[in-house]
Amino acid sequence: MNSLNKKDVSIISIRDLTIEYQGKRVLNNVNLDLEPGSVYGIIGPNGCGKTTLFKTIVGLIEPVNGEIIFHDQKTSNDINIGYMPQINALYDELTVLQHLHFFARMYGLNENINRKSAIKNILEIVSLDGFENRKISKLSGGEKQRVSLGIAMIHSPELLVLDEPTVGLDPKLRNELWRTFRQLASSGTTILISSHTLDDAKHCYSLSFMYQGSIVVSGTPKQLCQKAGNAEDLESAFLYYCNNLNTNEN
Amino acid sequence: MKIKRFIAISNRILLQIIGDKRTIGLIVVAPLIVMSLAGFSFINSKDVLNRIAPGLICTFAFFFTFLLTAVSFYRERVSGTLERLFTTPATKTDVLLGYLFGFLPLALIQATLIVMYSIFVLRVDYEGNIFNIMLIIFLIASISVNLGIFLSTFARNEFQIMQFIPVIFAPQIFLAGLIMPIDDLPIYFEILSFAMPLRYAIESLQAVMIEGESIAGISYSIGILIGFNLFILGLSILSIKNNKQI
Repeated sequence: MNSLNKKDVSIISIRDLTIEYQGKRVLNNVNLDLEPGSVYGIIGPNGCGKTTLFKTIVGLIEPVNGEIIFHDQKTSNDINIGYMPQINALYDELTVLQHLHFFARMYGLNENINRKSAIKNILEIVSLDGFENRKISKLSGGEKQRVSLGIAMIHSPELLVLDEPTVGLDPKLRNELWRTFRQLASSGTTILISSHTLDDAKHCYSLSFMYQGSIVVSGTPKQLCQKAGNAEDLESAFLYYCNNLNTNEN
Repeated sequence: MKIKRFIAISNRILLQIIGDKRTIGLIVVAPLIVMSLAGFSFINSKDVLNRIAPGLICTFAFFFTFLLTAVSFYRERVSGTLERLFTTPATKTDVLLGYLFGFLPLALIQATLIVMYSIFVLRVDYEGNIFNIMLIIFLIASISVNLGIFLSTFARNEFQIMQFIPVIFAPQIFLAGLIMPIDDLPIYFEILSFAMPLRYAIESLQAVMIEGESIAGISYSIGILIGFNLFILGLSILSIKNNKQI
């Protein structure tokens, strides 16, 4: 598929995106196309620019150069995006239910019936049934992570941007969440995810490896392994890219 | 800006404060303790008490609203909740109005309690209209909300917010006519007192409470308080704009 066609079918197209912060280039000519219903993973070492890329997509950071084209010429304010930040960003004094009600209202779910049904659905998806009246300060790290994920999904977004969503989750819940992500993707939701855990990366339909603010290689998990000298698994491929890029720099 | 959205933010702030019983206790009990100390110390000097009581009501509204807003907003900034809020359709106006109307009920309830305590327990002279009193409290509390939002930008931790208290409040307390009547201040302090928003709130409240002045009679001070509100609102809007971080 050529670039023009991709742009036509993509929910979001990122073109030559460059971000600078305090004189330092944090993102460098990033190009990316996300198709509806795909699960797209960004992997890369700490500080490579994954979070900056995500914050730019959700409209928190203004690009210096380049553009983000949302389908139908929408802006990040118009398109229905759900964002889960790397830190939980929750209110300690409020309960799980109060959080979901609050963010549902922020996303415009003002009708009581719609809001309650969305909240019931989300509580099931993130396995927080029975936790409704617990204050955030009384939850474990994994439970907080699930509340944060629930908030990102409360308004059934077209694009779900998840910055390390599975950190602190046990393998069982992580597996359940991946099942949910696949279900969401099959119903048309586009999921963009960043992760350090290569266990997560293998679930993605497409992957990009980021290094020092640039996307250096993209493809399916299998293609990424092949491009890394037929690496056995994604972990070996990850190390291959890191080592090769370090050597090139030296 | 959508009304439902900023009301949801106000509700959330109220829920957070109500969920913190110690803060509620502090807001209600601390002013009454200070009022009792001041009131019973000057029980035989009615003129002094009549001057101090409106001053203390304004100062409490100013102080507690500032403290609560600055700490809450600082937490919003560092915990990432403010940033998260801006990934929803919420605008800066929603957030600012949400904060204002979240803290305002507390400031007004606190002021009502102090006014009642001053009138019925301390027997301060009272000729005023409660709605006029609430208007003045509204204006000084909204200055305080925006000042809290603005100054929280410069704090790197909650301890630094505490350090703003002497810097911001000492000049207000000494130069706004709370301790000494402004006419008795040295000329250089008298000139400085024109820059203190608390001065206009105290003057207005003294005129309304003790002399039974109408809103028309204090329109000059009310106008200046509105001016301070707009100026500090501008600063707080700028401080939110410049807070986006990589």
